[in-house]
Amino acid sequence: MSLRRILAVGRLELSQTLRRPMFWILLLLLTLMSWGLSAGNVTIASGDTAVGGDKAWINSESQMTMFVIVLTFLITAFFASVAAGMAVLRDDEVGASEILHTTPLRPAEYVAGKFAGVTVTFLFALTWQLLTLVVFFQLMPIENAAEVRGDFRLGAYLRPMLFFALPNVLFALGTAFAVGERARRPILVFFLPVALLLVCGFFLWDWSPSWLDPRINDLLMVVDPSGLRWLDEAWLSIDRGVEVYNTEPVAYDWRILVNRAWILLVGLGAVAASVPHVARTLSGEARPGGLSRLLRRRRRDEAAPASAAATGRAAIDDPRLAELAMRRGRASRAAGLGAVVRAEVRELLHQPGLYLFVPLILLQTVGNATFAIGAFDTPILLTSGYLAVNSVSIVTTLVCLLLLFYTVESLQRERSTGFGELLYSSPVATWTLLVGKALANSLVGAAILLGAFVASVIVLLVQGSAPVETWPFFVTWILLVAPTFVLWTAFVTWLYALVRERYTAYALAIGALVATFYFQFRGELTWTFNWPLWGTLQWSDMGTYELNRQQLVLNRVTVLGAALFFAGFAVRLFSRRDFDGLRSIQRLHPRLLVRTTLRLAPLALLPLITGGVLAYQVRSGFQGEPAEKLAKDYWRKNFATFADDRDAPVPVVRHVEVRVELEPAERRFAVEGSYELVNEHDVAIDAVAMTANRAWEEIAWQIDGVEATSEDREGLHLLRPARALEPGEGLRLGFRLRGTHPAGATKAGGGVPTFVLPSGVVLHTFEPSFLPLPGFQGGIGVDEDNAFEPREYPDDFWEEELDTAFGQIRPFTTRVQITTPADYTANSVGTLTSSREHTGEDGRALRTVVWESDHPVKLLNVVAGRYDVLRAGGTALFYHPGHTYNIDEMSSALQAAREHFSEWFYEFPWNELKVSEFPALAGYAQGFPTNITFSEGIGFLTESDEGSNAAFMVTAHEAAHQWWGNLITPGEGPGGNILSEGMAHYSTLLLHEEEHGLRGRIEFARRIEDSYAEDRQVDSERPLVKIDGSRAGDTTVTYDKGGWVMWMLHQLMGREATLAGLQELFRIYVPSTDDHPVLQDLLATLRPYAPDPQAFDEFTEQWYFDVVVPEYEIRDASKQRSGDGWLTRWTVRNKGTGRMPVEIAASRGERFPDDEARGAQSTGETYRDTRVSVVLGAGEEQALELRTDFEPQQIVVDPDALVLQLERSRALARL
Amino acid sequence: MLEIRNLTKIYPGPVAALQGVDLDIPAGMFGLLGPNGAGKTSLMRILAGLLEPTSGDVRLHGEDVLADPQGLWARLGYLPQHFGFYPNLTGEAMLLHLLRLKGVRAEGRSLRQLCGELLERVNLGYAAGRKVKGYSGGMKQRLGIAQAIAGNPELIIVDEPTAGLDPEERMRFYRILAELAENRTVLLSTHIVEDVAVLCPRFAVIRKGKVVALTTPSQARQELEGRIFEGIASPAELDDLRRNRQVTQAHLVEGRNLVRLYEPRGDAPAGFERVPPTLEDAYLVLMRDVGTRGDDSAEAPGDGHRRAEAETGAERPGATA
Repeated sequence: MSLRRILAVGRLELSQTLRRPMFWILLLLLTLMSWGLSAGNVTIASGDTAVGGDKAWINSESQMTMFVIVLTFLITAFFASVAAGMAVLRDDEVGASEILHTTPLRPAEYVAGKFAGVTVTFLFALTWQLLTLVVFFQLMPIENAAEVRGDFRLGAYLRPMLFFALPNVLFALGTAFAVGERARRPILVFFLPVALLLVCGFFLWDWSPSWLDPRINDLLMVVDPSGLRWLDEAWLSIDRGVEVYNTEPVAYDWRILVNRAWILLVGLGAVAASVPHVARTLSGEARPGGLSRLLRRRRRDEAAPASAAATGRAAIDDPRLAELAMRRGRASRAAGLGAVVRAEVRELLHQPGLYLFVPLILLQTVGNATFAIGAFDTPILLTSGYLAVNSVSIVTTLVCLLLLFYTVESLQRERSTGFGELLYSSPVATWTLLVGKALANSLVGAAILLGAFVASVIVLLVQGSAPVETWPFFVTWILLVAPTFVLWTAFVTWLYALVRERYTAYALAIGALVATFYFQFRGELTWTFNWPLWGTLQWSDMGTYELNRQQLVLNRVTVLGAALFFAGFAVRLFSRRDFDGLRSIQRLHPRLLVRTTLRLAPLALLPLITGGVLAYQVRSGFQGEPAEKLAKDYWRKNFATFADDRDAPVPVVRHVEVRVELEPAERRFAVEGSYELVNEHDVAIDAVAMTANRAWEEIAWQIDGVEATSEDREGLHLLRPARALEPGEGLRLGFRLRGTHPAGATKAGGGVPTFVLPSGVVLHTFEPSFLPLPGFQGGIGVDEDNAFEPREYPDDFWEEELDTAFGQIRPFTTRVQITTPADYTANSVGTLTSSREHTGEDGRALRTVVWESDHPVKLLNVVAGRYDVLRAGGTALFYHPGHTYNIDEMSSALQAAREHFSEWFYEFPWNELKVSEFPALAGYAQGFPTNITFSEGIGFLTESDEGSNAAFMVTAHEAAHQWWGNLITPGEGPGGNILSEGMAHYSTLLLHEEEHGLRGRIEFARRIEDSYAEDRQVDSERPLVKIDGSRAGDTTVTYDKGGWVMWMLHQLMGREATLAGLQELFRIYVPSTDDHPVLQDLLATLRPYAPDPQAFDEFTEQWYFDVVVPEYEIRDASKQRSGDGWLTRWTVRNKGTGRMPVEIAASRGERFPDDEARGAQSTGETYRDTRVSVVLGAGEEQALELRTDFEPQQIVVDPDALVLQLERSRALARL
Repeated sequence: MLEIRNLTKIYPGPVAALQGVDLDIPAGMFGLLGPNGAGKTSLMRILAGLLEPTSGDVRLHGEDVLADPQGLWARLGYLPQHFGFYPNLTGEAMLLHLLRLKGVRAEGRSLRQLCGELLERVNLGYAAGRKVKGYSGGMKQRLGIAQAIAGNPELIIVDEPTAGLDPEERMRFYRILAELAENRTVLLSTHIVEDVAVLCPRFAVIRKGKVVALTTPSQARQELEGRIFEGIASPAELDDLRRNRQVTQAHLVEGRNLVRLYEPRGDAPAGFERVPPTLEDAYLVLMRDVGTRGDDSAEAPGDGHRRAEAETGAERPGATA
């Protein structure tokens, strides 16, 4: 080995890499990303980072490690792969390889020099990244810098760079170098980072179910080439507290050490392994591209004769050329286009990357769509439309990456092969060349879409529920997604025509994608610029893209117009002849530039016009800047004066009477109605404050039937009666309004919570969607700028009278008259008292229904659609005619809920319990009194079977809100919402056991236990009585833990005592108009019913007022014969926290032999078990033994799922 | 008629590849002879519409081909010096692809049949079904020739066309070119004097970006009549001759140096006999002559690196342009 020769090769490679714009674009990207991340918008989700407590520092080592890994893996590694992978390839392309290897240069020196050159380049890039991180993260002026930025510590930056970035880049460099050297095909070089990104992004970084065996998890941490999984699973997700993350260095363990070791070994080993291959290639033993040859189809060449001379006829024998009678015509455009497409496709078919990329994309696309999760982590029942839409973002991203590679390589091919001299001097028009290439490459996208379609059809057929429909795929993938590919291909072609160099084109295109990601991440990608339609599409089987249809069309026209512009520009820029430098400078003359601009102007006209219209629509829409400003003005103007009921008392609502006219086809509605208001305060009210929606076109007021004028305080209308409303006095406040809902375009697609659309209508009083609401509404106009931290309540706050957490403070009666087109069914709260069909003024057939509350309510809503209905047992299910999959299960859940919750808690006071389906423009279900609304993805499109009873579960939960939410409305304060959501889950557990026995209840208990284990934020979790919904992880605690803990309390107290206590709670609070309960009220009501008050106190102290979760582990399990039976011994340990009695069983056979859903194998043997109970505190363990008269097969902790715990799957030992 | 007026091409550097070239090229075969780096390929690529000149005009039958290269390409058959094909297409598919792009028609039969006949014409019929990446250099050159002559183009530009061809194929190509030149302009760029001697009734010599001669082979030879001498010399004598006389060629024949001298005054050294001049003698004398007069170097990128040596001054033969 000659160091001198290695240095010579390395120096040349270094200078070449540094000269490429791609490298400088990388530095620019790294700079921009460092700058963007330093703004503090992205912080690790640990500790009390959201609200209260210490903030996570943006420059802590933990934070910096995450940034460094992500930046390196997503950006630097990609560029490194391209640079290293092309190092040898480039020498082949320019024909320098053979000459180089006829010098004394040895293969090892060549490989070492090349790799060293490109490595030094990227060491420079990493150094630059380190510098920019330090500069931006330490010096950038940011808001709350003192809170979110710690002191400068070099180690916080340097250690992640050395321990993660450097090995990751060396891995990328080494593997890409080896692939490029072996395959000698650019596409495989690009495939490598993309494949790694897919595997990591969608699997290694993401997939971590709570039941995952820790050994498998360890293995995955070791396998992940980025190290991010280890950082997340072993460092960030463990309970350490924000203080540790801010100040302590990341503690490396054996897993990450092994991970780093193999990364380095593989990276450098791959380079070393290239040496013999280079040597064999030179000696002719191996041919360049051996790897790629293995991957593509072989075709037998026709046998050639021994030599040309042997077959060649003497020149003198040739007939004259004239006898060939050939002539030149003008090739038709179609013929030229066809020829280009044909040739390109043939070349494409020989690209091995195609056969690697396409299956990978299909796998990713269909896999991603198939495992979509709905409410309460239930799997979604897939329909054609959902499958088509769920895969849009992923398929768009991946196909764009693929098209980037193929478009650039296709344009580069003429240069690489030398065919350009022949092709460019042929009479074929430039546009034919470019369009032909684009068309051929588009076939790749088309092939992927076709493949994804076939795979989707297979998924639907296997699922066996929803019919296979072609049109959703056609509309979504062809009409909506395909223009994205057209634009992207045109854009990449334009980029290449502009820079005329593959590396710069790649870098700029990747930069454009990263920029799009960045703006999407920041929520700044509106309809005008959202060319890939990321996050915009919202599928509903009930109506196709109704909400955003106009914007979709305009966006696609803009995209196609932009594609035309880029294509036209590319044709103009794409020079088939090499420009002269001097003449190029002359072309920059302003007059020529103006002329060129004018020539291109017609092409730019269409996208500018449609884009301008979109920009206007977005701005003037309900999510536009002016609308946001109006909402802010509302808050700013009124918060100080009207937020507190004591400062600005609001009369209570006694009765609401409204007439609603709905015109779904026009998205319009008109309302006329009145509130009967009474002053229940002890001071006079001289003005009634009403919040109106500022998007309504008009609103008029009456006071006691007399037209009144309001003082409009930025949307808060003050209505002054002739004289102040004295305590106990009332008035009738009339209103008349009309509008479109939603008013105008969305900002960037997606859904909306309430709407009037042809496919359905959802309106409610959580927001002023169709009715003005009494008083100041605190949620309007609040964002991160003016949100303040949640109120800290004293421990005894619950002893005072509490307002409601939601809805009106007093129940009121309602009369709602709704007029719709005759084919609609309109539902509201209460009972249907009349329904008639009639003809409107314009001759249309209309239906007018009247709903009246047969028992007071605190909330009001209206829902309408074209429904079929299933009525049974005092319940009604209004559903989209195509969604019949789960209606029987849902109906049975509704009936069971009505029957049993009435029996267990409180008699259902209304006449009928209804569920109405609405389009999935919002993903919620809301339990308004008597009139529950379900988004179609919840229940109706839940994949349910006898094992999971998922549709039953979600229906039971929502039905439970009639009791927990409506009859008992929780009080305002921490723990209040657990009385609604947690108790709804508890009720569901009860109902499951009642209807589906032990197995159904265990299934649901384990499901929500898994959900809690996965979603909890261990370091910031607070006791149940402190949960106010403000922190990450509060949701799962509210729902899952809240329900589970109540279930455990139920076990502790016994069923009868618990239900008696709960009935007492209803007796107290249903008629209450002054006080509303929180968790402490629940406990105080239950305690007298507890058979063992001391046990009750101990339980509530640890589960409600502290944070505990047991985690059991069994070890040293063994069994031996003992007389006629068996003796089984084991040791059980509580690795977690909390002290709970728990049963442990030695069992044999299958407990639920028909339980195919859990994958059990039937042995036909009767299940038997023998149990022992043990109480273990945190860290305690106990050796146990059990004598059984059967040979046990396993030891199971808590076989009946009675104790909430972590890692339940590990609390088991097979014997 | 192809008219070239004051054609200049300056590459960044700056390097003047063409310095005001003026040429009128009539119908028939026309040779462009010059050493590597003389600017031939730059000129060929400009004429083929693939390289933008810095200044100057090029007209074909009065039409400005620089302003409208698309119009030229419809009438052009071009064989560049360096070219390639899509490696994964067969020879037949590749040629068919080009015929389609060029709008070539074959009367009374299909394009595929014509393609086969053209491949036969360049002796590639047997390899029509093989992928181009498996072709030898000569086979690729012949495939390039086939596409260049397809469709009877009005103007044929061939740049170093015989490179890589064996003698038999070279003869075959000569014959094809000769036939083509009967009723159109064929511009042959080469540094192989034999190509010009065999094919071209007229040719220009280009050196360092300038046309230094425009003549016919016979006229060029005639200019040297009586001034070329041939004899045998030992290595020491050859060194002496190189120092004192103008050696045009020195070949080893049976281990001895067979030396040809250009002696403007006609007085040969002892042992040397007057011999009929060849075109190669004329070309080499011309190269020395221009080099001696100290013209600017004009080596264009991609035109090679070898230069003719400049020695003593000499009378300029064939300078009749």
